[in-house]
Amino acid sequence: MAAADWQDRYYDIDQILDTPGPRTDPAFLAGDGVKDFLRNQAKILVIGAGGLGCEILANLALTGFKDIHVIDMDTIDISNLNRQFLFRQKDVGQPKATVAAEFIMKRVPGCKVTPYFGKIQDKDDDYYMQFNLVICGLDSVEARRWMSATLVNLVDPENPESLKPLIDGGTEGFKGQARVILPTITSCYECSLDMLNKQTVFPICTIANTPRLPEHCIEWASVLEWPRVHGDKPKDTDDPEHIGWLYTVAAARAKEFNIEGVTWALTQGVVKNIIPAIASTNAIIAASCCNEAFKIATSSAAYLNNYFMLIGTDGVYSYTFEHEKRDDCPVCGGEALDLSISAELTVEEFIDLLIERQDIQIKKPSLSTPTAQIYFQSPPQLEEATRPNLKKKVKELVPQDGEVTVTSTSLPFSLSLRISYT
Amino acid sequence: MATSEAMDMTAAEVAPDSKTRRYDRQLRLWAASGQSALENSRLLVISASATSTSVLKNLVLPGIGHFTILDPATVTPRDAGNNFFLEGQSSIGKSRAGEAVRLLAELNEGVEGKADTSSLEQILDNNPGYFASFTLVIAHNLEPKLLERLSTLLWADDTLPILVAVNSAGFLGEFHIQFHEHTIIDSHSETAPSLRIDKAFPALADYAASLDFKNMDPTDHTHVPYVIILVRALADWKAAHDGKPPQTTAEKKQFKEGVLAMKVKIDEENFDEAEAQAYRCWTETRVPSEITALFQDPQLSNLSPTSPPFFHLLDALRKFTLQPPHTLPLTSTLPDMKANTTSYIHLQKLYKTRAEEEKATFKSLLTVPIDDATVDTFVKNAHGLKVLRGKKYGSLNTDPAALASAVESSPKATAIHLAISALATVSPPQTTVEALTAAAQALLPPGFELPEEFSDAVGEVFVLVILVSRVTMLRTFLSARSPTADLPNSAAFLGGLVAQEVIKMITKQYVPIDGYCVVDLVETWTGMV
Repeated sequence: MAAADWQDRYYDIDQILDTPGPRTDPAFLAGDGVKDFLRNQAKILVIGAGGLGCEILANLALTGFKDIHVIDMDTIDISNLNRQFLFRQKDVGQPKATVAAEFIMKRVPGCKVTPYFGKIQDKDDDYYMQFNLVICGLDSVEARRWMSATLVNLVDPENPESLKPLIDGGTEGFKGQARVILPTITSCYECSLDMLNKQTVFPICTIANTPRLPEHCIEWASVLEWPRVHGDKPKDTDDPEHIGWLYTVAAARAKEFNIEGVTWALTQGVVKNIIPAIASTNAIIAASCCNEAFKIATSSAAYLNNYFMLIGTDGVYSYTFEHEKRDDCPVCGGEALDLSISAELTVEEFIDLLIERQDIQIKKPSLSTPTAQIYFQSPPQLEEATRPNLKKKVKELVPQDGEVTVTSTSLPFSLSLRISYT
Repeated sequence: MATSEAMDMTAAEVAPDSKTRRYDRQLRLWAASGQSALENSRLLVISASATSTSVLKNLVLPGIGHFTILDPATVTPRDAGNNFFLEGQSSIGKSRAGEAVRLLAELNEGVEGKADTSSLEQILDNNPGYFASFTLVIAHNLEPKLLERLSTLLWADDTLPILVAVNSAGFLGEFHIQFHEHTIIDSHSETAPSLRIDKAFPALADYAASLDFKNMDPTDHTHVPYVIILVRALADWKAAHDGKPPQTTAEKKQFKEGVLAMKVKIDEENFDEAEAQAYRCWTETRVPSEITALFQDPQLSNLSPTSPPFFHLLDALRKFTLQPPHTLPLTSTLPDMKANTTSYIHLQKLYKTRAEEEKATFKSLLTVPIDDATVDTFVKNAHGLKVLRGKKYGSLNTDPAALASAVESSPKATAIHLAISALATVSPPQTTVEALTAAAQALLPPGFELPEEFSDAVGEVFVLVILVSRVTMLRTFLSARSPTADLPNSAAFLGGLVAQEVIKMITKQYVPIDGYCVVDLVETWTGMV
């Protein structure tokens, strides 16, 4: 027993770990071995110390994980305090990872939490290799894609230790989901990209010429007026003065066009793309993630296969199902994605098409064939050199059934497409 | 945003105050009205178990007004290990309610917390009036006899608080909300109210008729909103078809082709939109059946000046729908559509003016004074109104026929409910799989078989019971009922679900559960019984 443990500390949990249940894997070895693994050997990584992250850290610590690492690049904002319960007013402005780690270590003696205040992309494969499990509590699609792809790439068939289960949670208002990903074995984050709600994008011509909604006026202030008036000065959506400026400009435009409904809260919501968030939904989803982590780490019960979706707006509705792996998943499928396009399509139009695709979701893609560069977004010299290709037809550069490799700084992998023409 | 309409755009709005900033992410869900309901609520939580403090955490954070934890126990080493709102070993031996209140209250300075170390049994015996000052009572793993007494007491009078009973054992759990009547004006329905294209109000019909599509400026033609296109196309169609809308598949197809034929350029997206929305022309706008059903509510036949305002509003709505065009009052919410600013704003104005007129008619049908803000919200959300009638806690278990039909319609969920119910009726020394099975069987009609899933569910509970009961006998200081494992993850999961339902009950927004919500965290699913 570790020094900080006291008699009966894990009384409730040990009831589970000392006896198999009716649905427990026969391989489960009840007793001291599993407790020792959980409490003295398991090393777990938590991505995000926000709404889900705070809950995840507390649950993991109470269930007996004692070596927890946490990564978060954000600092604490006052709007976090309605749900991120490890933070107080005095902590506003401090790094989330550090404050959360200190709180857990103080509240749950003997639990070691190692914070990293920075980006997941700062860490290399060796870093991720040290963990038994990764739990993601993120609000960014891009970070999740990166993490999922990184763990898929980490898998070495010769080395079973290289397979790191990834548990991913997400919430929005009264809704949320939790899922278990066994990289290369079950459906990965990329496989399910088309399940995401399509983000509302307001066409520039509407914003510039025919605004109808308060959102159009806010986008005008943010996308067109800010750069026109402030030049290169970056817009900081966390700066109340900047929001105030956008609000005033948007409100003036709304007045000019007789549009009602521009408010401070709406302005902030649109420019920061705010997603409503409450403690209770985060608690449900984080508990679900940690429960899966506990079951996987201890084999004390079967784990989720593989997707749990919760809708709490009308009663409590949930749906548990197996999300299928996609054979043409660019991350874990190993096959090229077949794409049939018009023979008349130009490279420029092709790029727009890729950006539009819900199952690809790419920003600023660069394209090449196995033998030639088609178009590169950067560096500037290469962009300039390949720019003339934008006006060419894809067919002039890629043969029927030819392969196109798509890369982007927002993607931790390259996407292979097989092109056919209609 | 609820505040947007009240906001005068000419006045420079100042940055939100620190309270609004703190609650920003939740105000976007339940607005200032929901927040104020939360801030006026007073909660009583019975026991400071891990599950209880998890529920409370999710209610203190969003800012309920007051909570009392009723718990005479002192912190055991076991409590200190599984409850985040106790401070490890340093809390052992101290009042469990006191420690939990201290650490929960830290989460939000705006919330008042109180620890009460009295015993529930004594309060039930000597001071039954104790509960009247609370909005809602939450009880976790309460001894069955006390829970029965408490639920009977609170059920006796509909002015007494709502009771949320939570039971859990290891990976399994369930909860039930006991209430008499729950009315919801703003259910945040995801169905949009009708635009009434098929029953165009006069100003809309006149405007659509006045447009000269053929000689219109081409730019304007591209910006006629689809609503106007359809109103016009439908009027023209009806004029040529004895006043009838398109009815057969062939006619509907012909109508759609007619809409597309109105294009002067191939790329006029507003006409494409009109074609896609053409079904609105032959889908008659009527009062939704869910709303018509509410007009049969007994509260309406017995309406008196002292009836709750909701039912006076509902009665005015009923009277409103008796008048032509036999629809709900028009709402001014217009979805975005292809249009330029002028044409869209003009259309919006037509809808707004008409909505105001209909609201005035609606108000004239009210027989008691009700404030304008409530009338506004009611009219705006009339298509999503709800009236729920709850049941007394435990009534399902005294109705074998209802239980049997639950087994048939949702066997997995009912199996868990039966296992948890059986656990409550069997006393520790006699707790065996056989005893639990017999107890569950006794709840069902004679000869009715337990669901196949029952053995899994009872096994999940049973392994805990055996271990726990053995220890219980050794430790006489524990309560008479066998305690059940309060796992941190199960506690957190239930804590989230229960808090979410409590928020819906208090704010009277969104729709709470009706029945028992059961949870299985082995296979990770929830269900309803």
